[in-house]
Amino acid sequence: MAQPRILVLAAIASVGMAACGGSSSAGGTPAKPDKVQIAAEGPFTGPQAVIGAGALQAIQLAVKDFNKAGGVNGTPVTLLIWDDQHTAQVAQNFQAVGISDPTVLGIVGPMNSGVVLGTAPGLQQASPPLPLVSESASAVKVSESGWSVVHRVNARDDAQGPADAKFMMDQGAKKVFVMDAKSDYSIGLADQTEKYLKDHNVSTQRESAQQGQKDFSTIVTKIKASGAEWVYFADEGPEAVFLVNEMKHQSLTIGNNIQFLGTDGEEDASIIANTQGAYAGAYATNIAADPAGLTSSAAQNYVTEFKTEYGPDSLSKAGPFYGSAYEAAQVLLQAIKNSPVKNGKISRADVLSNLGTATFNTIFGSVKFDSKGDVQGGGIYVYQAKGTQMVVVKQVSG
Amino acid sequence: MGYFLQQLVNGLELGSLYALVALGYTLIYGILELLNFAHGDVFMVGAFLAAGAAAALVHNEVAAIPGGFVVVLMLLVAMGGAGVLGVAIERVAYRPLRNANRLAPLITAIGVSLLLENAVFVWVSPAPVLVPTNALVSQGIIQAGSVATPLTGLVLFAGSLALMIALDLFVFRTRFGSAMRATAQDREAATFMGIDVDRVIMVTFFLASALAGLGGVLFGLRYASVDFFMGYGLGIKAFTAAVIGGIGNIRGAMVGGLLLGVLESLSGGFISTQFQDTFVFLALIAVLLLRPQGLLGQPVTDRA
Repeated sequence: MAQPRILVLAAIASVGMAACGGSSSAGGTPAKPDKVQIAAEGPFTGPQAVIGAGALQAIQLAVKDFNKAGGVNGTPVTLLIWDDQHTAQVAQNFQAVGISDPTVLGIVGPMNSGVVLGTAPGLQQASPPLPLVSESASAVKVSESGWSVVHRVNARDDAQGPADAKFMMDQGAKKVFVMDAKSDYSIGLADQTEKYLKDHNVSTQRESAQQGQKDFSTIVTKIKASGAEWVYFADEGPEAVFLVNEMKHQSLTIGNNIQFLGTDGEEDASIIANTQGAYAGAYATNIAADPAGLTSSAAQNYVTEFKTEYGPDSLSKAGPFYGSAYEAAQVLLQAIKNSPVKNGKISRADVLSNLGTATFNTIFGSVKFDSKGDVQGGGIYVYQAKGTQMVVVKQVSG
Repeated sequence: MGYFLQQLVNGLELGSLYALVALGYTLIYGILELLNFAHGDVFMVGAFLAAGAAAALVHNEVAAIPGGFVVVLMLLVAMGGAGVLGVAIERVAYRPLRNANRLAPLITAIGVSLLLENAVFVWVSPAPVLVPTNALVSQGIIQAGSVATPLTGLVLFAGSLALMIALDLFVFRTRFGSAMRATAQDREAATFMGIDVDRVIMVTFFLASALAGLGGVLFGLRYASVDFFMGYGLGIKAFTAAVIGGIGNIRGAMVGGLLLGVLESLSGGFISTQFQDTFVFLALIAVLLLRPQGLLGQPVTDRA
C-alpha cells in the first residue's frame, strides 16, 4: 500500500535534488544515482505471515531510516515488496521483474530456505547477477551450493541442530521426541538435531506435523507412550500453539512432567498468551538475536523506534526475525552506498563484490561475510518463556 | 490396548468435527450439485465470530458474565453469522451462475474462499487468535481407565452427533425436508409441484453454514485457538470425508467423517505421522476405485 507513495516521494525528491545538483556537481559532492531500488521478499501473507509480517515492517523501517539519513548520496531508495507466499514459483515471478530492471540492486530475503534453494540459480545466472541477503534462511545447502549471490545474516542449521541437541543433553535428556513440520527448513534442522543426539547415545523418536495442523491428539498420545522427557519441535509456523494446548489436555505440563524445546518460529511471546500460559517454561532457540533481549544501545534504540513506528504492542506480533530483517536491510543498503556511481547508475556487480568484502555496521554490531556468504561469528540464542516474555537464557557462539 | 483406545477416542473426536463440516458440503452438493469450496472458510469465519464474542464478553469491564452464558452467545453469534454469510455467498456468487457452465460456480467458490481467508487475514489477524477457554468451560479431563480426554472433546463429539441426528430427522421427517429432497432430485419438477426452489436453496445454505458455524464454536472450545487458514485444511479433509461417504448423502457424510478421523489417528498412531495424510488420501483413492459412488451413495444413473 505504501509503495506508490514512496515512489511519488522518490520522484519529487529526485527532481528537487537534480535541480540543485547542477550547481554543486563541480564542488566534488559524490555522484548521485538516478534510481535505486531494493526488494523485500518473504511470506508476508498466508500461513507463514507470522514470521514474515514483522520482518517486512523491519525492512520498511530500515529503508525509511536510510532515506532519512540521506539515502544513496541524496537519492532515496525505493522498496519493492515481493510476497512470495513461501513458494519458489511465486518468488520467480517477482524476481523476473527485478532481474530485468538494472536499478533493482538487491533482495532482502527470501526468508525461507526452500525459496532460496529454488530461486538462487536464476538470480545467479542473471546479468549482472542479482544479490540477496537473507535474514532467516538456515538450511545448510543455501550457502554450500556455490552461489556467490547468496548471503545470510542468520546462523545455519548445522550450527543450530547440534547447539539444540547439546542444550537438551546438558539438561539431562535421555530420550527426545523429535518433530518436524514437513518443510525444507524444518526437516533439515530436525535431521541435524536428531543425528547429533543419536551420535551421543540419546534415544530419539521421530514424527511429523503437517503444515497448518490443528489436531495434535494423535501425536501427543504418542509422546506420552514414548516415555520421552523432551519434545523437540523444529518449526517456523503457528503450529506450536495447538501442540502445546493438546499437551495440556493430555496432562503433559511443560517444565513439570515434560520439557519442550522449539526453534525460531517458536521464539515468540504470543505463544504464551495464545496457550493461556501453558507454554511457560518452554525453551526455544533462534538463529537470529532478538534485539529486545540485548543490552547494547543500538539494539535498544531500534526496539524503541520499532514500537514508536508500529505501536506499543507491535513487538508481540513482530515474529522472531524483526531484528535480523533490519540487520539484513542495513547490510544491503550499506553495500549499495559503498558502490561507485557511474553515469547515474550503480552496477549490481559492484554491490555484489562489496557484499563479499566490506564490513557492515548494524544494530547487532559489525557484520562480515565469509567466502560462502555465511556471516562470520553468527550465534545461536536460547530463550525461555517466562511470565509473558521470551527471555534469553543462554548464547551459544558459532 | 489402552493406547489403541486412546487413539480411537482421538480419532472419533476429530472425525466428528470432519463430519460436521462434511455435512455442509454434502447438503449443498445434494441440492445444487455444486462443490461449495468456500464452506471450509465459512467454518473459519464462524470460529472467528465465536472467538470475538468470547473475547468481548470475557474481558469486558462491566460485569462478570458466567462462562456458560458466554458459550450460548458464542453459539448464537457464530451459527447466525455463518448462516447469514452462507446465504449471502449463495446470493452473490452462485445464484447468478445457476444456469451457467458447471465450471463457473466452482471458480467463484474458490474465489470466495480466497476472499474470506484474506479478508480475515488483513482485517482481523495474521496470527492465531486465542479463545479464552479457561474462563469459559471446565478444563476438566475425563478419565476412563487408561483413556483420557478433555471435557471439551466429549462436548465436541456429543454435540456434533446430536446435531447430525437432528439434521437427519429434519431432512427425512419434516415437510420442508421433503421439499429439500424433491429439489435435490429434480429442480424443475419440484418447481412444477409448487415448491419455492429459491427458498429451499437459501434455507439449505443457511443450515449448512450454521452447522459450519457450530463446528467453529466447538473447534474453538476444544483447541482454544483459531487462525485464518484453519478452514483450508479442514475443508479439504471434510470434503474427502463427504466423498468417501458418498457426496450428497447425509448419513454418508457422518460415516465418512468419523471413518476419516479414526483412520487418521490410527495410521498416525500405529504407523507414522509422517505418512498420516498419505493414508487418508489412499483411502479416498481406494473408495473411488472400488465404490465410486461412495460408501453410502447410490450409483448415478443417466437421467434421460
